[in-house]
Amino acid sequence: MMVNVERLSYSFGTHWALKDISFTLAKGEFLFLTGHSGAGKSTLLKMLYGALPVTRGRASVAGMSLNTLKKRHIPGLRRKVGVVFQDFKILPHRTVFDNVAMALEVRGMPRAHLERRVRAVVRALGLDTKSYSPCEHLSGGEQQRVAIARSMVANPELILADEPTGNLDFDLTMHLMDIFKQFNTYGTSIIMATHSREVLDCVPEARILHLQDGRVVAEGEQPPGSDTCSCPPAPDADMAGSGDDTDALLPEGGRS
Amino acid sequence: MIGRFLRLTLRGLADFRLHPVAQLLTMVAVAMVTLLTGLILTGFHTVNLELLKSRGQVEFQAYWKQDQSRDAVRADWDAIGAMPHLTDFATFTPEDALTELASTLGESGDFSWLAGDNPLPHSALVRFAVPPEAQEEGWAARLLTALKELPGVDTVNYTPFQTDLAQGWMTLSQVVIWPVLGFLGLVISLVVHNTIKLSLLTRMDEIEILSLVGASPSYIRWPLLTSGFLQGFVGASAGLGLLAGVHSLAADALDFAPFFIRIPFLPLEQMLMLAGGVTLVAMASSWVAVK
Repeated sequence: MMVNVERLSYSFGTHWALKDISFTLAKGEFLFLTGHSGAGKSTLLKMLYGALPVTRGRASVAGMSLNTLKKRHIPGLRRKVGVVFQDFKILPHRTVFDNVAMALEVRGMPRAHLERRVRAVVRALGLDTKSYSPCEHLSGGEQQRVAIARSMVANPELILADEPTGNLDFDLTMHLMDIFKQFNTYGTSIIMATHSREVLDCVPEARILHLQDGRVVAEGEQPPGSDTCSCPPAPDADMAGSGDDTDALLPEGGRS
Repeated sequence: MIGRFLRLTLRGLADFRLHPVAQLLTMVAVAMVTLLTGLILTGFHTVNLELLKSRGQVEFQAYWKQDQSRDAVRADWDAIGAMPHLTDFATFTPEDALTELASTLGESGDFSWLAGDNPLPHSALVRFAVPPEAQEEGWAARLLTALKELPGVDTVNYTPFQTDLAQGWMTLSQVVIWPVLGFLGLVISLVVHNTIKLSLLTRMDEIEILSLVGASPSYIRWPLLTSGFLQGFVGASAGLGLLAGVHSLAADALDFAPFFIRIPFLPLEQMLMLAGGVTLVAMASSWVAVK
């Protein structure tokens, strides 16, 4: 199991943000977390990448128990998990290349290998013409692609995405969902928090965990025929790479 | 490993240009703290040197027995003249003493009728200046004993003021100055720590992102430590430079009557301690600011 959560609860003071959450996620599976703002989606994701401690219930991610996770083990967990946020969390004054390379530099990857891998992923996401542009000069969609590239470049076993398309228009949303789906087909598990119907429709085979007030109120697959997503082609010529390029998202020499 | 270490160090140095205004303000704050501390230390150093000038000086008045021959007294004077740390030695035969007494009293001081039967003994004013390194415990008492043990000496008097001053300064040093210096160190630590910590707020996004992509604490902290070193070292050096400037302007500010005090610059070891202390606090602050 990539993720195993049993009766997980978390409170901020007297307010329970999560209450008795249980679910599993198999390798290569795509799971949506849905629910209104404040339902507990972000809290759950934060617990899964070690930003919040597991104090009640049990949870494990990529074979690592979060209950016994020491502070010194958190970098190890985060090297197995890629994280994408609605507000991108990239360094605006650094270039696209630097932002993406950061995920490999912290692993101590040799420079030549790193450059090859970063260039391939940047090209796959249609950012190769802007590799050496500071991110602050990019559009919102491009910045989010940088964040996605950074989360994918190290071939994580699991991607946690917290409303990654929340700040983007429909066309960009559809395009980014294509990238996530592509990566998912290579065997990477993905948990994505969203409250967008369009996003759900893009991955009809994905499971859905619907949260309300910190509890799971519905769980299952989307009803048949709900695939209304017709992911359009890239809105502009330089936005996305070719199909061959997206193959660069494939793990290079196995996962790091 | 070394390549990675060097790369992180260089990144810490290169990051210095990312937020130039914040970095500059931090260094100005560190420089100002160093300057203020340097001024206080200079004040202490000046007071210490001024007291050091009088510290260790002691004056004795020695009187010889009435029945002592001139030769015996001269032998004692020779012995005193050979004593270490002697600075002034004024001797008086009974005749000299009578003349001195008469001149002191002016017109009413005609003691010529005593010339044949002078009651005054041989006497001497002896002044020593014992340097701090030779001031073992009871040094003034030992001098007094040495004078009293001279074979012809009858009595020895001394004014304890100077020795008391020295003792008082030592007590002051132990009771007041060290706590004050400790307090000063605490103030430096708090001000520099908070300044560095505030300057790191501009880099919290970067720290958070590095943490998210799995950077180890040492990978995150090393460049910050390098930046902290640079901020502390450059700030402290600038502070000492400002102190030198202030000193060049104010060195003679007290060089007039009745003080005649020329303000000295901080000794090298105090400058190194100040700069090193500030730099270390800056580095430590950078290290602990990221938790």
